Amino acid sequence: MPQILPDFSSSVKLKYVKLGYQYLVNHILTFLLVPIMAGVVLEILRLGPEEMLNIWRSLHFDLLQVLFSSFLIIFIATVYFMSKPRSVYLVDYACYKPPVTCRVPFSTFMEHSRLILKDSPKSVDFQMRILERSGLGEETCLPPAIHYIPPNPTMEDARAEAETVIFAAIDSLMKKTGLKPKDIDILIVNCSLFSPTPSLSAMVINKYKLRSNIKSFNLSGMGCSAGIISIDLARDLLQVYPNSYALVVSTEIITPNYYKGNERAMLLPNCLFRMGGAAILLSNKRREKSRAKYRLVHVVRTHKGADDKAYRCVYEQEDPQGKVGINLSKDLMVIAGEALKSNITTIGPLVLPASEQLLFLFTLIGRKIFNPKWKPYIPDFKQAFEHFCIHAGGRAVIDELQKNLQLSAEHVEASRMTLHRFGNTSSSSLWYELNYIEAKGRMKKGARVWQIAFGSGFKCNSAVWKCNRTIKAPMEGPWQDCIDRYPVHIPEVVKL
Amino acid sequence: MMAEVKSSRVKVPSLLTVVSSKPTAPGRVHKFTALDHAMGFHTGHIVFYYRRNPIRDGASMENDLDNLRISLSELLCLYPPVTGRLGRGADGNWEVKCNDAGVRMLKANVCATLDEWLRYANAAEERDLTVWEDLPDDPHIWSPFRIQINDFNCGGLAVAISFTHMHADFTSATLLIKSWAEIHRHEPVAHPPIFNLPSVINESAAYRRSSSMFSETNSEFEIPSVRMGRATFKFSEAKIRQCLSKVHESCPDATPFDVLAALFWSKITRLKSPACDDDNKCSLSMCIDLRKRERDSIPYGYFGNALHFSKLSVNAEELQSDRLAYIAGLVHQHVGSIRDEEFWANVAWLESHKKEGGQYPPPFQLFGCELTCLSMENTISSEGSFTYAAMFKQNEKPIHVSYHIGNVGGEGLILVMPSPEEGLARIVMVTLPEEQIVKLCEDQTILGLQPSMLLNGKQ
Repeated sequence: MPQILPDFSSSVKLKYVKLGYQYLVNHILTFLLVPIMAGVVLEILRLGPEEMLNIWRSLHFDLLQVLFSSFLIIFIATVYFMSKPRSVYLVDYACYKPPVTCRVPFSTFMEHSRLILKDSPKSVDFQMRILERSGLGEETCLPPAIHYIPPNPTMEDARAEAETVIFAAIDSLMKKTGLKPKDIDILIVNCSLFSPTPSLSAMVINKYKLRSNIKSFNLSGMGCSAGIISIDLARDLLQVYPNSYALVVSTEIITPNYYKGNERAMLLPNCLFRMGGAAILLSNKRREKSRAKYRLVHVVRTHKGADDKAYRCVYEQEDPQGKVGINLSKDLMVIAGEALKSNITTIGPLVLPASEQLLFLFTLIGRKIFNPKWKPYIPDFKQAFEHFCIHAGGRAVIDELQKNLQLSAEHVEASRMTLHRFGNTSSSSLWYELNYIEAKGRMKKGARVWQIAFGSGFKCNSAVWKCNRTIKAPMEGPWQDCIDRYPVHIPEVVKL
Repeated sequence: MMAEVKSSRVKVPSLLTVVSSKPTAPGRVHKFTALDHAMGFHTGHIVFYYRRNPIRDGASMENDLDNLRISLSELLCLYPPVTGRLGRGADGNWEVKCNDAGVRMLKANVCATLDEWLRYANAAEERDLTVWEDLPDDPHIWSPFRIQINDFNCGGLAVAISFTHMHADFTSATLLIKSWAEIHRHEPVAHPPIFNLPSVINESAAYRRSSSMFSETNSEFEIPSVRMGRATFKFSEAKIRQCLSKVHESCPDATPFDVLAALFWSKITRLKSPACDDDNKCSLSMCIDLRKRERDSIPYGYFGNALHFSKLSVNAEELQSDRLAYIAGLVHQHVGSIRDEEFWANVAWLESHKKEGGQYPPPFQLFGCELTCLSMENTISSEGSFTYAAMFKQNEKPIHVSYHIGNVGGEGLILVMPSPEEGLARIVMVTLPEEQIVKLCEDQTILGLQPSMLLNGKQ
């Protein structure tokens, strides 16, 4: 409960007052309309039918006026319908499930670490502490090239991983939706750290023999929030091209980016990043409306790159030995919090019900005019969304967002369990989380989902989806064989 | 850590770890028995040779390995103690913390064809096909099981496993590879592992036996001062049958082991100087696998050490005379008289010799401190042996399987192993000081049985 309310905020009576207030403000139009309609109906009843007919005749309509008015109405209606943005539907999506031979238990990871970094025991201990508190489970997967002692990944290994992950996800999607390769009009692939020539999107076009006039894009270097950036790009393209299918592939290829040095700040990604990928089919075709799972409502992108600290927060560089890795700065959480605030400020007015917005407005006025010491009102986003998918960047990110947005454990369950089962799969983690919610049978028609992702730069991007049809569990997918074991309790510190 | 590359024909390009497909339940600890501790000085190594790479279907090696790894990962779900790590418990005894760390797997390429290798490679080169490591002082990141997949030029494959003898004996390791092959063929596992012995400690036996063969065994490790050599003799069924018919009158139930042990014992004793000990007796240390010898005894699936060591002594003259039938009869009688109670008596002796705080006595040099002979007869039946049932592809048996023991003492070791020919055929692998091996290979009686000589180095 927000701090501005008096101390008896836990009292039941106040809860009903708040409910009443919300109901009133959110349905204000209905409440205003009801007395007006009542008045009109009473007036009509009083006048009687003959009176009504007399009033009608006295209006003196002639043909020209009638025609003109009707054309005006038709014209306004047409302009309205034409200027409405095309609805973008998410037909279906598929997440990659890595093979069991790629599994990396904690003990194996630590053993390899000790064998490879035998000259830096402090770095090994640091990795162990990170792993203990990471929130990962024993079933996360690393690509085959990283299982070697020492790992010696070649470009061929990286391409092999890309092919395995991307083709498996696309094959699964095609099987689910019946999509033919020749039907794909737009292709967007995002993979932040591996960008070969020819691009990964060219690799997909080559494998599936896609059309020669396909609009293909390959986004690299954009971090973990690139998934939402790809969705945004697809949406914009679908406004320009009518009747199209857009295939979006989000993945992160771990093989070439395994840090081989011993700088602590750069060892963190080794502990958290794991293999994963997702393929998503979007469309603006009207006939997909019946079978689409979701409709895209909003995409909000916030970039804090103008601030130097935010820009350098996640920075790829060489360590003193010349080994390349990603350096995570210590004020990552603070910057993430600020980026989130920025994003919320933009998305709030779009999604929050009128009651929350009014409260926020009143508190804002109150702080400016009456008493600056009033705590700012944090809008209750649980009223705007039924489900939350917070990018599983790490336990700290999920904890921070849970605190800031005042979410319950059930709201962040999808994020925590995805982190436990699959690790941080970067841009595709949002899709694993969404899949978890569906696999648990919690996705009902009309539910609104909020996907939030952070990325290097520093960016905070959100997407809002509305569920189009109730999704029945059980279903095929990466959670198929383990959903019954979840949710699990994840201890603060796992003893290794 | 890896084999020194002298001018070895075996190149080991990579090392990785394979884990089970499902995570192990945390907190499980597997404690070793007294006998396991006693065997801790030695290591075991088995190499399975296949003519055709059983999983190559025109695909590259990388895919082969992945294919094998899938079945191995499934197998490891059944063996949590194999994927764990060794450590000392609170009482100072060895135990395995089943922490899911996995087994090491090495990939190697051999610059030879399979036939060339089996004919001309010597023991030292065969050592390169597996990993030879002793238990380190701090084994918490050391994998007790190492599997090496060796690819031959001609397309043949050798699957090798090496392990500490504290963890398993030959039968357990053979059944592990056999189970892996069964899973690879998508068949049910015939002998799923059992990790706990039936706890039948015969109390009275403990008091009856005040000494045991352990009390007479050396617990000082003697690394042999001379170079040890190895010879492998493959005897056909026909020749063994011939041999058995010769001893038939005095010993109608003789097994191939009895006859071969007797033969090699008498021949090797002659090569030694002194041939026997002070009171003119020659001894042979017999190592028998006790699984399923009696109705309620240790099951085949028991994963651990179920070996019984005992000593057979005869007068030097009797041994050095050519009375093969008589010696074979003695061996047969000795082996037949071993009962499970003696095994439990040995275990009880070890238990009673624990140190303060419950720590077991340090390991013994059980192989080679005296001339030792090991039998695997109980794994060989009329339907075949466990060893040659390890088929990764239907009906593709291994063409040869080599067994090695590490840290064998200077007196030597005779292993009587199953043969791919099945039935009565056997392979005898002898480890002796080099000069004795050379002389043994020229012995007329042995050569009279027309063995084919394998892995004997370039002639």
